[in-house]
Amino acid sequence: MMAVVAAGTNRIDPYVIPALDGVAYGLLVFVAASGLVFCFGVANILNLAHGTLYAIGGYTAAALLDGGWASLALALAVGVLAAGAAGVLLAGLLTPVATGNHLTQALLTFGVALAGGSLLVAGFGPDDPQVRVPAALEGSVVVAGHRYAAYRLVFIVVAAAIAAALYLVVRRTRAGMLVRAAVDDAEMVACLGVSPARIRAGVLAAAGALAGAAGVLGAPIIGPGTDTADTVLLLSLVVVVLGGLGSMAGTLLAALAIGEIQTLGVALLPSAAPFLLFAAMAAVLAVRARGLASRWGAT
Amino acid sequence: MPHTTPWHSRALGATLLAVVLTVGTACGDDGPGPSASGSIKVGLLASLSGTYQSVGTEIRDGFQLYLDTHDGKLGGRRVDLVVADEGNGAQTAVPAATKLLKQDRVAALTGIVGGGSVAGVTPLLEETKVPLVGSNGRPELKDVSRVWHTSYLSDEPGEAIAQHVRDTVQGSVYAIGPDYQGGWDELRGFTDTFVKIGGKLANSDGKTTFTPFPATTNFTPYFARIKASGAAAVYTFYAGSAAVDFVKQYAQSEIKDVPLYAAGFLTEGGVLNAQGDAARDIFSVLNYSPDLDNAENRAFVAAWKAKHDGSPTTYALASYDAAAVLDRAIGAAGSDPTPEAINTAIGQLGQIASPRGTWQFSTTTHSPVQKWYLRQVRQDGRALSNTVVGDLATVGR
Repeated sequence: MMAVVAAGTNRIDPYVIPALDGVAYGLLVFVAASGLVFCFGVANILNLAHGTLYAIGGYTAAALLDGGWASLALALAVGVLAAGAAGVLLAGLLTPVATGNHLTQALLTFGVALAGGSLLVAGFGPDDPQVRVPAALEGSVVVAGHRYAAYRLVFIVVAAAIAAALYLVVRRTRAGMLVRAAVDDAEMVACLGVSPARIRAGVLAAAGALAGAAGVLGAPIIGPGTDTADTVLLLSLVVVVLGGLGSMAGTLLAALAIGEIQTLGVALLPSAAPFLLFAAMAAVLAVRARGLASRWGAT
Repeated sequence: MPHTTPWHSRALGATLLAVVLTVGTACGDDGPGPSASGSIKVGLLASLSGTYQSVGTEIRDGFQLYLDTHDGKLGGRRVDLVVADEGNGAQTAVPAATKLLKQDRVAALTGIVGGGSVAGVTPLLEETKVPLVGSNGRPELKDVSRVWHTSYLSDEPGEAIAQHVRDTVQGSVYAIGPDYQGGWDELRGFTDTFVKIGGKLANSDGKTTFTPFPATTNFTPYFARIKASGAAAVYTFYAGSAAVDFVKQYAQSEIKDVPLYAAGFLTEGGVLNAQGDAARDIFSVLNYSPDLDNAENRAFVAAWKAKHDGSPTTYALASYDAAAVLDRAIGAAGSDPTPEAINTAIGQLGQIASPRGTWQFSTTTHSPVQKWYLRQVRQDGRALSNTVVGDLATVGR
């Protein structure tokens, strides 16, 4: 009987859930990637250990979540603190490396990512751990006549709130002003008496905290495991390429585009699924290559 | 001569040392096979690090369990088990196998998780004339003269369950799997047999949907297509973290009430713990389940549970059986069980009693002719377990 109902609905109907899921996925990618964009855009640090910071959050969620709300709050706090602390540690390791020396930074942070990944596997085991969301969110709800995971629906709201908060912090607070000033003219900010090292540590801590929050909240979507760090790093780098480093809006649009490409795109063109993401990336690079190149050339 | 000069004594010492060393080297280098003391060297190659670590560990533990329950002997000879790490694939497996075969000079090789690793190691077997009794990965091979497997061929699970799905499901079945060799084989085994006996696939073009591997972590868009296809059931194969993602997302999707049939690896071992309640009621086909009711299995499961948490998997079982095969073959290879003699003896074993039920090697593929079981994920005490709910076809060729 379900088959009859499905066959009887219109042509848009099968794509409602993938489109909605694309928003959930895109927002997760946004929260996860915004830290990397910050690091790169503000502190000019290419942090290849960014995926590992997300994985720290994911493993924290797997270890602490027990199906209750209190455990979710605890996991969020611990995940944010742990990943933020790891970010500060990275800033410390990066101190001797000249700003803008991307190759050295990449090598150093890649090494940290490998070591960090091994430590996580040593600590939590090689199997992908189970993540238990609060019992109230475990089921599914009906959206426009379709079943959809309750957790993901709530995640959309929470991630949107995080994005809005991030926007307000960058626009309205002194820390945000410093960050924007550092993007525009880092040397002038230094002249004004703000230590670049402190900005760098602050940015990496914030990036870590964001990645940690994404890791905890996103654990039921991109779960902790041996491949998690690589997956998140790759998606974040694609966000950087698609969205550029200039604006939060660009990052958000890029992340949502990735989300939709990975869900709606796959639903529409399943045979092209393996290439969609990178085809989009190649297209953007082909069109915008000069813009990106000029920005990097200027720094 | 009451007192020798230091020079003499040193020369004597050096000579003695040289003699000892020569003899020692000769002892350590008396060719593959058993040494004079009646022991025999067996090499076990399995992924003890990397992506397949949990499977590799099960394979090592399964073999070790057989040794522990048989006085550490195979064919009446004390076994010197040399374990090496296969890593993630052929790149690490081949050097490790080279060390086992050429430096340790083992009389037989066992284990090996990945099909790619087996393909990489096979030429070494021909070169060193040592048999492999593999317990997991089994790629397409041209020459199996020294290769034996206690596991299965990748297309056999699907072949074994096709008739049951055809008989049980009222309507078309949607086939979906990961886009790599293992996925193609597993799904082809099902779809070929299923279509041949009159089943209808729900996939829009009549072809299996393959998801990019390992890139696919979100299956929602595929579930939307399955919903739209009006399928009455789904057949799939995933393993590892993809299996966890697939099952968890399936349980929350709009097709959560569509029956899910799968090759047993979808819910086997560690992944079932990670899936938790989402895996409940899934049907799968496998050559083994820990609740099979026979004497060999009761002894095997009891011995396993005495040493490990949880129940043994098909991976541990296959390795346990590899030890059983070597036990009988070494015993049958006579007073001088050379690798060649062991290889010949394996070919003449006939029926092998096993916790999975009796099976035997196929004379053409050198992999088992064995019975497959239909299992369903059900509550077993406090944990979920794959419970046998019926016998399926006996497959092997």
